[in-house]
Amino acid sequence: MAQVHLKNVVKKYGSLEVVHAINLDIEDGEFVVLVGPSGCGKSTTLRMIAGLEDISGGDIEIGDRVVNDLAPRDRNISMVFQNYALYPHMTVQENLGFSLKIAKFSQSEIDAAVQNAAEILSLTDLMDRKPGALSGGQRQRVAMGRAIVRHPDVFLFDEPLSNLDAKLRTQMRVEIKKLHQKVKSTIVYVTHDQIEAMTLADRIVIMRDGHIEQIGTPLDVFEHPVNTFVASFIGSPPMNFLEAQIDGGKIILQDGTALTMPAGYAANEGQKVTFGVRADNIMPQNHAMPAGNNMALVEMEVSLTEPLGTETLLFAELAGSEVQAKMLNPRPVQNGERLTFEISLDKCHIFDAQTGNALKAQ
Amino acid sequence: MKRFKMPPWLVLLLPAIIILSAVVLIPLVLSLYSSFTPYKLTRPESLYKWIGTFNYEKALGDTKFWAAFGRTILLLTIALNLEMLCGLGLALMVSKVTRGQRALRTAMMFPMMFSPILVGFQFKFIFNDNVGLVNNALQSLGITDMAIPWLVDGKLAMFAIIFAEMWTSTSVFAILILAGLFAIPQDPLEAAKVDGCTPIQSFRFVTLPFLMPFIYIAMAIRSLDVARAYDIVQIMTNGGPARRTELLWTLIGRTGYVDAKMGYANAMGYISIFLAIFFTIYFFRKLTAARAELGMGV
Amino acid sequence: MMQSVSAQNRKRIAKTAHFVGLFIAMSIICIPGLWIVLNSFRPTVEIMAKPPVWIPNELNLDHYRAMFGGAGEGGVPVLTYFRNSMIISITSTVIALLVGMGGGYAFARYHFKGKSAIFVGLMVTRAVPGVALSLPLFIIFARLGIIDTHFGIILAYVAMNVPFTIWLIDGFMRQIPKELAEAAEIDGCTRWQAFWRVEFPVARSGIASAGIFAFLTSWNEYALASQLSRSTTSKTMPVGLLDFTSEFTLNWGGMCALAVLMILPALVLTFLVQKHLIAGLTFGGVKG
Ligand SMILES: Nc1ncnc2c1ncn2[C@@H]1O[C@H](COP(=O)(O)OP(=O)(O)O)[C@@H](O)[C@H]1O
Ligand SMILES: [Mg+2]
Repeated sequence: MAQVHLKNVVKKYGSLEVVHAINLDIEDGEFVVLVGPSGCGKSTTLRMIAGLEDISGGDIEIGDRVVNDLAPRDRNISMVFQNYALYPHMTVQENLGFSLKIAKFSQSEIDAAVQNAAEILSLTDLMDRKPGALSGGQRQRVAMGRAIVRHPDVFLFDEPLSNLDAKLRTQMRVEIKKLHQKVKSTIVYVTHDQIEAMTLADRIVIMRDGHIEQIGTPLDVFEHPVNTFVASFIGSPPMNFLEAQIDGGKIILQDGTALTMPAGYAANEGQKVTFGVRADNIMPQNHAMPAGNNMALVEMEVSLTEPLGTETLLFAELAGSEVQAKMLNPRPVQNGERLTFEISLDKCHIFDAQTGNALKAQ
Repeated sequence: MKRFKMPPWLVLLLPAIIILSAVVLIPLVLSLYSSFTPYKLTRPESLYKWIGTFNYEKALGDTKFWAAFGRTILLLTIALNLEMLCGLGLALMVSKVTRGQRALRTAMMFPMMFSPILVGFQFKFIFNDNVGLVNNALQSLGITDMAIPWLVDGKLAMFAIIFAEMWTSTSVFAILILAGLFAIPQDPLEAAKVDGCTPIQSFRFVTLPFLMPFIYIAMAIRSLDVARAYDIVQIMTNGGPARRTELLWTLIGRTGYVDAKMGYANAMGYISIFLAIFFTIYFFRKLTAARAELGMGV
Repeated sequence: MMQSVSAQNRKRIAKTAHFVGLFIAMSIICIPGLWIVLNSFRPTVEIMAKPPVWIPNELNLDHYRAMFGGAGEGGVPVLTYFRNSMIISITSTVIALLVGMGGGYAFARYHFKGKSAIFVGLMVTRAVPGVALSLPLFIIFARLGIIDTHFGIILAYVAMNVPFTIWLIDGFMRQIPKELAEAAEIDGCTRWQAFWRVEFPVARSGIASAGIFAFLTSWNEYALASQLSRSTTSKTMPVGLLDFTSEFTLNWGGMCALAVLMILPALVLTFLVQKHLIAGLTFGGVKG
């Protein structure tokens, strides 16, 4: 078990810098998820922690050791790869025991540890098979088993679920969470899927273009995104954005609709802003919107509906932009129907139109 | 003090680089040097006499050289193109076979395991005017009662050589093209069918472009050892009769070893080396381009 | 109705043409080899008979007996040649494989400046025609006193085989995801261990076929060997084949028997690797 610290870590490929001086402190036993669009440098960061990539600047510490120049084998970490990277010429048993064999443990110790890992991941019936004869989900479990036999300080996962179908993915997500509760090691987990990030993480690290945009608990980043990028990346459907301007302390949308400032935000008079609101906070009147004291009413024409069962997504136009709204306890809605919607302003966000940064009150 | 550390890839490549330098590069430098001397095996001291580009001028002014040069280019062009076409045809035929295809593929590789020198002897035997298979068959079938002088007549000998050369190398093309045919994704072919392409059109516009990288690999592999034809020709005719099948390589061998004029032979050797390198780089280029076009990675 | 009949006819014609074409092609491929094998069992008189004897009256092992007897027709020391061929081919193959594994691994796993230039550079050395290379090599080897030794020919063959071995092994290594070695490194291996314990076993069959290819090339090579060997101490079988010729006559039967002896090992080895060989060439070349 160990803490992990990244201090001004930089990665360059030749003259191309792909990770820009990032800082990250990971607590002992914490489950941290790096999330961001593909190509933003998540894998590179993870692989630098693993020692598979040299770091071009800064320091990485695992435990209290600076590991910058240590080979992967000296860092006491284990890693689960996106394509699992199981050794095709070894049986499941041998795959699981390989690291201990390299470390010259006795055969009886290896057998005990492998047996233990196999039980945790219900692999005991598959021990004599080769990876080629396993299903995707089974391979995934073997890859995890190979990671846990050694009781490493830190587990690294690089998109371990992205090769599975949707149903299996949900199932394995639960297993990974259970596994973490069982082994209590530090976990650094990379994914591009924000739902995976939200459901698994103690803390989420949102990355873009080699920068860290925000670090926080899942609820924190959902409720208090620091900029429009985080706001649109976290949460589904993505947050609605409307261009607006501050006038007389109010938010004036492009069609002149005036909305009061949400709590906790402050903006200058005349400032151009982006008004952000999630579908969850725009609902047809009388449809179970929790009562709030800062509500606005707008009338919109529904152009398209997406029934999802327990809720229905409604597409409508507000102040010249398309917005998505949500209807709980749905009733059938016709396209073209005009409805009155409630906007829960206290759940809304104001961002600077230029920089995209949230305009938090000091 | 910081010690210079070689990058690992260089360490790994070093043995290859050293061996190739020692056995190929250094000799080539030597031969380049000696091509500027009148070096004769029998007169070692002649290695130190510099005569400039005399040998090259002599070669370029020598009709025997140009005849061999032209013949070599002609042979390569005809043989490579025919091999490609025959290989394509053979691969298409074999790919359409449903039963016993494995056996056919195995039989197709048969000529590849023959040493070129063996191929030379084999066809020298088969085209022998007295006891050869071809003449025996023609005579027994009553098509002719003459002994056709396959290896004695200039034109016929050239034909026999091209035939032998094709026999050994067509299968290289056939096998690689066959591998390409199996790797073709079915979707574009089906899309072409839906779009109303005739079989010939879908071959022309879907199959063939996809096969091109495979054809270029075969070409690249072949260009690496086109000079194997030397062995075949050496045995079948040894450049004869009266130099009518003389190729660059047989001419070099004769000049160097029989006439012992090493300097002159090396000058001609250099010309043949440039020819080979030109072919090789040309096909590697083509291969890279064809690959990039199909988006097969770098 | 009429149309379907003509369509059916067309189909039948196409089918027949396909069969005939394939039959002719396969005959051309197979008959020359079979002809050699057949003649190795026929007495010389029958080979030379005029008019030709099509249905053999007599098949015997005379040529083989003479060949292995050594002293027989012309006294060609076939067994010595066979031994030379074996020693030279096997040794040069093993060395070429080791060198080729290093090079192939470097090309498959490392990025570096001028990679494709170096790659083509190595390949080009293979394109140097044997005769052209044999001239300066002969001069140098003569100076070093390694003409007519196993060592000299082995050295030349290693150099001849390395480029192609690198090409094939590069292709095979690329097929192996690099995560496999990375996983091994995380599991506690050094890079060296990761190679021998994981990548090598996975690429084993591919590497073996690269080896067999190198073996066949050495086994069959003539242009270099004919200049670098002088006597029975180093002559290989392809060079030995010439012993059956003299100024005016050719011992066809004996030569056919030696040919069969040369083909047999090649035949067996080729069958063993044909599958990997095609995969190696195409992966190395196309996906490379
Ligand atoms: N070996 C490499 N050479 C050059 N650029 C690379 C290399 N590996 C990754 N990159 C670049 O670094 C960036 C980050 O990649 P990566 O960390 O794999 O992103 P992801 O967040 O999708 O895991 C990408 O833009 C990628 O193109
Ligand atoms: Mg990634």
